[in-house]
Amino acid sequence: MAPRRFDEVKVGDEIPPLQKVVRREDVKAYADASGDQNPLHQDDAFAMSVGFPGIIAHGMFSMAHVAKAVTDWLGDPGGLRRLKVQFRQVVFMDESLVARGEVVSLDEGTKRARLSVTAEVQRAGERLLVIKNSEAEVQLG
Amino acid sequence: MPLNEGLKGKVYPRVELEVTAERVLQFADAIGEDNPAFRSAQGGAALGFGAQIASPTFLTVLHIMGGAEVVLDPDLGLDYTRVVHGEQEFEWNRPVQVADRLGAEPRIADIYSKGPNEFLVIEAEIKDPSGNAVAVSRATLLSRGTAERG
Repeated sequence: MAPRRFDEVKVGDEIPPLQKVVRREDVKAYADASGDQNPLHQDDAFAMSVGFPGIIAHGMFSMAHVAKAVTDWLGDPGGLRRLKVQFRQVVFMDESLVARGEVVSLDEGTKRARLSVTAEVQRAGERLLVIKNSEAEVQLG
Repeated sequence: MPLNEGLKGKVYPRVELEVTAERVLQFADAIGEDNPAFRSAQGGAALGFGAQIASPTFLTVLHIMGGAEVVLDPDLGLDYTRVVHGEQEFEWNRPVQVADRLGAEPRIADIYSKGPNEFLVIEAEIKDPSGNAVAVSRATLLSRGTAERG
């Protein structure tokens, strides 16, 4: 698949939302793959002792999900140049995480696009932004 | 207890990571990454890369190794049970790929407080053995409720 071409993209374009339900086994697999063995992500009793109802997903897991949404849209797994995210909410088990993005500017000289990106969950009927005020920069073809 | 602001600028010992196919695939599996370039050498080659490439945030592996040196530094005075990952930034000059040997010397780029919380910024330039910059990682950790009340 060829990377998305610069002349195919315009400011305001939205990338397809990417949804994933976060399961306990995903968090365990992420702990092993990343090396982040913080008990907050594996031990319910520990998570409860610091005020959560149970274990939470790694922030970096949500960041990886956002990166995937962006590179899937881009059509080039190596085209991400910068990704900066703010973690604003934790993610609990079995919540549905949705990554979104929108093109906010284009640079004709470098053929790069800047996107604003978010990740959200629904909790108690409310939409909560897990990742907000965040942006990605990609290389278009 | 407030963090030791005197450690601003401190550089920590180099951490190194040899990027293996197994580790890259394990990471791709953990984040549900199905792009073939992240899964095998053939998949990478089919998409024009010289090897199997790592998912962009695979750099987390190195960040965790380097970050551990910083957060466990007894001179810093960080209570890890109060720490939340506030912000993360990566910049890539090129994709990380299998057989890369990456090294980084994490550095405390900043320590500051805002309200009751303190912020610790850890920065690392990730380089190949020839010293070429592959990527930059910048993490902001938030230490809840440890700022000195003014």
